[in-house]
Amino acid sequence: MPTRPATARRPARPGRAHRPRRARRSVMAPRRSTLASAYGILLAGVAVSLVPFAYLVSTSLKDTNSLFSYPPDWIPSPLFWGNFAALFQDHPYIRWTINTLVVSGVVTLLKLLFDSMAGYALAKMDFTGKRGVTLVLLLSVAIPISALIIPLFFVVRHLGLLNTYWALILPPLANPLGIFMARSFVAGIPDDLEASARLDGASELTIYRRIVLPLIRPGLVVLGMFIFMLQYTSFLWPLVAVQDTDLQVLTVGISGLQSAFLQDWGLLSAGMLLAAVPITIIFLTVQRTFIVNDLSGALKE
Amino acid sequence: MRAAGRPAAVELIEVAKSFGDTEVIRPMDLEVHPGEFVVLLGPSGCGKSTVLRMIAGLEDASGGEIYVDGRLVNYVRPRDRNVAMVFQNYALYPHMTVRENIAFPLAQGRTPRPGRGERAALVSEAAGIVALKPFLDRKPAQLSGGQRQRVALARAIVRRPSVFLMDEPLSNLDAILRAEMRISLLDVHRRVGRATIYVTHDQTEAMTMADRVVVLHEGQVQQVGTPEEIYTEPANSFVARFVGTPRMALHEGTVTDSGDLALGDVTFRPDAPVALTAGERMGVGIRPSGAHVTERPRGPHLRGRVTRRDYLGGDCFLEVDISTEHAIVVRAEPEGTVNVGELVTVEIRPGAAHLFGASGERAAGLSLLGPP
Repeated sequence: MPTRPATARRPARPGRAHRPRRARRSVMAPRRSTLASAYGILLAGVAVSLVPFAYLVSTSLKDTNSLFSYPPDWIPSPLFWGNFAALFQDHPYIRWTINTLVVSGVVTLLKLLFDSMAGYALAKMDFTGKRGVTLVLLLSVAIPISALIIPLFFVVRHLGLLNTYWALILPPLANPLGIFMARSFVAGIPDDLEASARLDGASELTIYRRIVLPLIRPGLVVLGMFIFMLQYTSFLWPLVAVQDTDLQVLTVGISGLQSAFLQDWGLLSAGMLLAAVPITIIFLTVQRTFIVNDLSGALKE
Repeated sequence: MRAAGRPAAVELIEVAKSFGDTEVIRPMDLEVHPGEFVVLLGPSGCGKSTVLRMIAGLEDASGGEIYVDGRLVNYVRPRDRNVAMVFQNYALYPHMTVRENIAFPLAQGRTPRPGRGERAALVSEAAGIVALKPFLDRKPAQLSGGQRQRVALARAIVRRPSVFLMDEPLSNLDAILRAEMRISLLDVHRRVGRATIYVTHDQTEAMTMADRVVVLHEGQVQQVGTPEEIYTEPANSFVARFVGTPRMALHEGTVTDSGDLALGDVTFRPDAPVALTAGERMGVGIRPSGAHVTERPRGPHLRGRVTRRDYLGGDCFLEVDISTEHAIVVRAEPEGTVNVGELVTVEIRPGAAHLFGASGERAAGLSLLGPP
């Protein structure tokens, strides 16, 4: 079979280093003044979102007495590390962090599995009652969590799961929102890909595992991040489901730091600041895989 | 099992398909012999892809029986039908390399499943047949259109199916590459020696590649025959107009008292006895390739005024008004200097004109008698 020399010679990827420098200014390049005002607006936005955070950092490094000085000194001197020490010595802060990470991680993984499988079924398979199932799922999205708390509490108590990890892990799995997201990812995969795999002898499970999953992975990473954050910050249900201090998650634990008589803002700030650390690290790690993995090459565009 | 001897690679008996009340494929019969290259030809929306997908098992037939290698497969899963399909848009797995793509069918749970070494050998062989060996470690996105199409082909070859099903495999390629790939495909077909059912709307592909052509229109088989039969003896005016470039001119003629056909003052005589009643309106079709401009006519001829000239390099076609309301397309010498508006003399070769009945079916060939 003849090979076209033109395509054979073409390098796999044009090396970035060899790309010729643009000789002329592009027509699309913005003017200097436009650029300056754009940066101005962006900097203002950054400032607005960073100031509360800076205040949090500052507060966590003050003892309660120096808190209310006016004007507020942004950089307390001397730096007071007692708040952090108290978190670890007087409260099971590390335990809370571990609980939170375990619960959020397990919920995320299980939900991604269920959502992608259900999404595949809803997007690509024909079965009796598909419309009904979709409708019920869609309706259940509309029910607010606060309306579910009390019945959920009774269900979990009857199952004897109060004060266990399972009480924190199982209920969030029923949230159907991710199914719809996963369904839309799967719907983006051309039908011919699965038809081809099916003809090639692949079972449904193989199609799911070897074709669908790899192709919707970027979407699932985003969905996973979303679920993880939601779970990491969830408060109401964990507050109701678990009373045991050793099983509490960060949100509930930190809110318990304030008592009716004493508002220790420094301690609270330290707790909140540290709580932001793990999720920031995870976000930065996962961010790398957000790259759009398009379907180029699967089909003729 | 059908009749004695080798069973047909594919046999369709009264196979039909409807979606609700819409009949997409009217009951059709077809027998494809082992090693045969059959082309399903028709305009888009005629149902040709549906036929292919029913054979593959991607769609259920609403009625009729489908046999592959003499085995009834209506209720057999696609993977167990022993057919391989090449899709119009290639349907390559974008996250796998060429090697993994080709090996994919081998890695599925079939019995007996080839071992690792044997799999590598099969992949290498299939890649060799389509000249893809240097590209085995690339991803589909790093290949050209023609190469991607060959990956899809190799993935089908590696399974050694009884039947290849190809759904417009070349329609996404540019014209030059398409011509190259036609030759390559036929070459592969001969080397592999398995029956192929090939769907296309491109008459050139059908004519050049097919052992037999099945012309489909609105879910109905119009004609089954070799390319020569389809071209020289079209079953009806649809086939006659669908095959052949430029397309056949078709006019309504009137049966004269002498049993001839008149288009204005140009008359034709049927080649075979046909029962005609004077005054009846019948279709008269004239193939451009069989009508040509001449300076010195040796037989019956007609005269007309040139209204358009299409110069194609190797060919030149003129549109000629042969009466006030009838225009035909005729061939002229490309070196000629005929201009629009000139009067030309046209001869029509026997076999180039056809007579069609009221419902479009071909009644006979026509010969030019000339203006009286």
